[in-house]
Amino acid sequence: MATVFTVDETELVTRAQRGERNAFSELVRIHAQGVMNVIYRMCGDVHIAEDAAQETFIQAWLHLASYRPQASLRNWLYRIAVNAATDILRKEKRILPNALEDMQLKDPQPGPEAIFSQEERTGIVQKAVLGLPDASRAVLVLREYEGMSYHEIADALDIPVGTVMSRLNYARKLLKDKLEQKLLLQVEAEYV
Amino acid sequence: MSKHVTEWLNAYLDGELQGSRLQHVETHLAECRVCRAELDSLERLSGLLDEVPAPEFTSSERFAAQVNLRLPHPQTTVSRKKILEIGWWMTPVGLLAAWVFISTSFLVNEVLSVANNLGLLSSVSDWMTFGAVSITDWSATLGQFGVLSGDGLNWAASTEAFTRTSLPQLTLQVSIALLYLSWIAIWWARRRREAHGQLLEG
Repeated sequence: MATVFTVDETELVTRAQRGERNAFSELVRIHAQGVMNVIYRMCGDVHIAEDAAQETFIQAWLHLASYRPQASLRNWLYRIAVNAATDILRKEKRILPNALEDMQLKDPQPGPEAIFSQEERTGIVQKAVLGLPDASRAVLVLREYEGMSYHEIADALDIPVGTVMSRLNYARKLLKDKLEQKLLLQVEAEYV
Repeated sequence: MSKHVTEWLNAYLDGELQGSRLQHVETHLAECRVCRAELDSLERLSGLLDEVPAPEFTSSERFAAQVNLRLPHPQTTVSRKKILEIGWWMTPVGLLAAWVFISTSFLVNEVLSVANNLGLLSSVSDWMTFGAVSITDWSATLGQFGVLSGDGLNWAASTEAFTRTSLPQLTLQVSIALLYLSWIAIWWARRRREAHGQLLEG
């Protein structure tokens, strides 16, 4: 199944590189959610994430000739997406999450108290993630929310695997320091 | 007990360790409560991060359609447009260069003519006197054959001199001036149209 997908994608890329807009649209359709998610996790605003994702694909279209089919298209797109998110954060003077509007609950039917508690918790975690340095946050987002391996992250961000490890260690340490008092102990108590 | 493996716990949690390193970390974790506690803490953090859900984005199909609408045209069109734009901005420069060239040519020609009339070019090579040929060929011929004489001959000589030297110069310079004014008029009209368009978009 995965092989078929790869072959199709390679063919789509080749056609898109020849200027076929329909082939490129198909690639956009395949990677849209992933790119939007990466940018959203980087900036915390849905509308800005969607705008930046559009910009990401436009940049990809303009620079498609420089893309080597041997590399992963997803990794290449994520690199552009992370850069787009970083640029936007710089321009917008860092965006904080729109309180509770963009957040959804995992549990479909929790009680009223649980809703508030859950929302509050996700809000705190999201703010803590957004407070990380850009470089560390990018690595954390690709690992935690996109499930990418260290090698894939290194490829996407064009950094050595050792740097991926150190940035991830640093990001998690900062998060633990921020969240330990507020949430981690509470989570521990819940598990017990 | 071996040294703590804190620095490798993230990679262990992410399933990135292999071979002897993995074995070493696993062995250490089996006997070290500190590192086990640290690993538990990292797992809880990962669980917390996982609790932050992704919002509902625009559907992939709709998003792809939106991107498709914004995709620029192929590079060739852009290049052609760029060349036209460069050509447009080079037009006044070209006109100015043409005007300078024509004026200089006529000036040199006149200087050579005057020098020739004064007999200053008699000792120089032929190519230098090329531009200093007589400007009254036809009136002189008519005078030689006795068709014209006196004031008539003078008037014919002046007219011929004017049509041979000043008139072409004047015509060319007026043409260049008209082209330049036309360019300015078009530039002004374009600017006004752009300003109007921006106003409408705003």
